[in-house]
This record gives sequence, structure tokens and C-alpha cells, in this order.
Amino acid sequence: MNLTILSSVFRRALRNISASPYLHMAATGTIAFSILIIGAFAMLYMNINDLIGSWQQNIRVVAYLTDKVPKASIEPLRQNIAGLYGVKRVRFVSKDQAMARLRSQLKHRQSLLDGLSENPLPAAFEIQLIRAWQSWGRIDPLTEQIKAFPEISDVEYGEAWLHRFSAFISFFRLAALIIGGLVFATAVFVCTNTIRLAIYAKRAELEIMRLVGATDFFISTPFYIQNLLEGLLGGLIAIGLLFASYKLFVANVQAPGVFMGPFQGRFLSLPGTGALLAAGMLMGWCGSFLSLKQFLKP
Amino acid sequence: MLDDAGPDPVVQMYHVYKRYGSQDALHDINLIVSKNDFLFIAGPSGAGKTSLLRLIFMGEEVSRGQILINGINLQRVRRTKLPLLRRNIGVVFQDFRLINSYTVYENIALVIEAAGRQRRYIQKKVRQVLRMVGLEDRIYTFPPKLSGGEQQRVALARAAVGDPLILLADEPTGNLDTDCADMVFDLLKQLHLRGSTIIVATHDRRLFEKAQGRIVLLNNGRIEGEIRS
Repeated sequence: MNLTILSSVFRRALRNISASPYLHMAATGTIAFSILIIGAFAMLYMNINDLIGSWQQNIRVVAYLTDKVPKASIEPLRQNIAGLYGVKRVRFVSKDQAMARLRSQLKHRQSLLDGLSENPLPAAFEIQLIRAWQSWGRIDPLTEQIKAFPEISDVEYGEAWLHRFSAFISFFRLAALIIGGLVFATAVFVCTNTIRLAIYAKRAELEIMRLVGATDFFISTPFYIQNLLEGLLGGLIAIGLLFASYKLFVANVQAPGVFMGPFQGRFLSLPGTGALLAAGMLMGWCGSFLSLKQFLKP
Repeated sequence: MLDDAGPDPVVQMYHVYKRYGSQDALHDINLIVSKNDFLFIAGPSGAGKTSLLRLIFMGEEVSRGQILINGINLQRVRRTKLPLLRRNIGVVFQDFRLINSYTVYENIALVIEAAGRQRRYIQKKVRQVLRMVGLEDRIYTFPPKLSGGEQQRVALARAAVGDPLILLADEPTGNLDTDCADMVFDLLKQLHLRGSTIIVATHDRRLFEKAQGRIVLLNNGRIEGEIRS
């Protein structure tokens, strides 16, 4: 290969694009749309994972005591629980402290509690876990151990919804993979047909090239270049739209402290953005490869 | 026609058959073309002239038999090597087959661009062949703006620009009036004088009656005889 051949294939690629701009705009648009969907799924998945990670870091187990626990047993029990594997710190919250905390949380509605003849809240241990135990798989056995103490009436860490949420995430991951795969295949299909149409429109020209001794490389490279350019452009458009949507979301939807707590969403990393661009170009390349494979068949 | 084998054969065909479906387009063709021959393949429409040329320029594969181009057996050539071999052969078609979206210059340059020649050489060579066919002033014109005769001269320039060993012409004057046909034929003779081997398929008696060379008569896919004029 030399400069003459390279400049010739690039010239022909640009000529092909300018000869049928609408066809190439459609292919670029399809790639952009596909990358946008795949990128949106990737970002959503990444942020939900981050969110779960941040929740896991703050997992706090609450062990409620029965009413009949004598005061003298509380400290030995606290020490027993603190000695379990995975427990970082155990803090005792008495019935009175629990009531005071509830009153402060209710703020202006404290009067609701005034009618109570006695404090219904149980005393409890707030148990903080070490980092390695902050995963769903390890909490369950630990809580079973805590529940085994006769002084403990119940242990809570919101397991029911967390389990449900974990199941949802697994489903989401699978759905994202399937949808991503389908979207990818659709984009490749459109690119394949774009090139097929271009080849059909230029079949006489390509046949002449063959007759004059042009190699498969010389004939097919302009098509690869044009589809790679479409993939690159489609990817850039998609990433631009994704970034704009992210900024809009951060500015308007994600009010600080609302339902996500201190969690801040993030945009795709540089390698992630590069991977999306590469995916766009791969779509274009696959489209060229599939259509040209047929045309260049001996 | 093996008896006519010259000292330096460039095309050798041995017991060549070409079959389309159940019909033989070519039947047991034996033909040797030597270097610098001017060979006419004459015969009526449907005689198999185009099929014969297509086999020589590797547009199709033989059904049976062997073809050697410049000593290279086409059946043994790897597909990736075909383009290199094709560069030894220039082809002119009755319907010109120029790329309408390319200028005259680009149509001709394509052949040597594909061969990876340097830009300066390409420019020089394209101008040289255009001068030879008398169309230097039409260098940046698009083919639809040219007359039939001019288009065929561009096609001839394209076929000649790579200095091919063999130049094939399939009914090169079929779509042209007498004056244009004569001009194209004179150019073929000029290329022959410069050392090219020329093979012309034609049913135009006028063309080979006024030429000097071998005439192979083809009918129903079989060679029926050969005459020298």
C-alpha cells in the first residue's frame, strides 16, 4: 500500500458520502440512536451500581431488645455482639433515647406523642459493620447470629426491599444486555443495507475497478472508511446528547438530598466514552464487512 | 489453432469449455495467441466471442480446460493474485463502461492508481494516452458530455494506460458510426505497432477485411477455421 492508493480510497470514500448524503445521514442517525440507547443503559446501570454501593457502605443493623432485659445485662450483651465477626461498633439506644430521637424527627408534630401513656419504643443496639461485611450475602448469617441471643426480639436492616432491589438489578442487567444486543444488531443491519444500497448503486463502477486490476482492498476500503466515519460521527452525536441529558438531569431532577441522599450521579468515564465511540465504529465496520463479504465473493 | 503457435505465446487455451446451465457457450477451444499478434475473433452474434474474451480477462472461470496468460495457468492462480494478473490486460467494451461520475482523467487514472503508481507518473501517463487518442482537451469532462466515439477513445486510453501485455476489444466499433469506427480502429493499429498484442471480437466484416492479421472464425461456440489477411 502507498500514498497514491490511500489518497485514492479516502477520496472515493468522501465522494461516496457526498454522492448520497441522505443515505449516510440515515445510517449515522441510526448509529447515533443506538449508541444513545446503549449509553443511557450503561450510565443508568453504572449509577444504580454506585447508588447500591453507597447504600451498602451505610448499612446499619438494628437489633431490638425484649422489654425484660435487666440493665446489668445490657453491657455484656453489647460486648458479645461487638465481638462477632464483621461487627465494627455497637451502640446502645435506650427506650428514652429512642423516644427523644423520634420527637426530634417529628419536629412540629411532636404533639402526636403526647397522648401516649407509656413509651412503646423498644431499646435497641445500632450495629455498624466493617466494610467487608457490607454486602447482602454476609449480612444474613450475621443477623441470624444476633437473633440467636435470647435478649434480642428482632433484627432489622431492611432486608426485604434490599433483596427485591438486588433481584431488580440482576433483571435490569440482563434486560440491558439483551436490549443492547438487539439495538446493536439493528444498527448493524441498517449499516449493512446502507452499504448494500451504495454497492448496488455503484456495482457497474466496482465491476470496472475489478476489471482494471483493482484489489479487494482498493475496492472495499472506501466503504469501510465511510461506515467507520458514520460510526464515529454517530457515536459523537450520541455522547453529546447523553452528556446534555445528564447535565439537564443533574441541574433539574436531582435535587440535593432528595431520595438519593448524598449520592451524586456521574457521567461515563473516559474509557467508557471511548468504548461507546468504538461501539459506534464497530457497528459501521460490521455493516461494511457483512455487505462487502457478499459482493467480493469469488 | 495450435499449429499457429508463435515463438512467444501470451494466451494459450487448451480444450476450453464454457457452460452456462446446460448450454455450451464455448466448445473445445484451442487457441494460441503470440506476442504482438493482431487477432480478430469473428462470428455472428451469440457465437461465443464475448464469452471467450471474458475467460481471457478473468471475468469468468472456465468450465473445463486450461488457459495460460503469459505462461501463468489461470486455474492455479490464487484469487488474491488475480488483480495483479488483470493489470496485464486492457479491455475495451462495446458499451464503453466508463464511470459517469468520474472525469475523463479520473476514469483513466483509476487503472494506474489501483496499481499504486506515483501521482506524478499518473498525471504524465494519463496526458500521454489522452494525447494519443486526441482528447487532451477533454481531460476534465465527464463521460456523458462526450460523443460515443469520444467515449470509446477514452475507453481505449483507459485500456492502454497501464501498458498492458494484451489489449482485448469486444465489439469496439459496434456503437459507432463509420468515421468514429475507423478512428478507433486506427488507434488499435497504432497500439499494435507500439508492441501490444491485440485481440478484437467483432462481427463487423468491414473491420477485419481492411486489417492485416489473423482471423479466427467462431460459430456456435466452436472454432470453425482461421484465415490470415
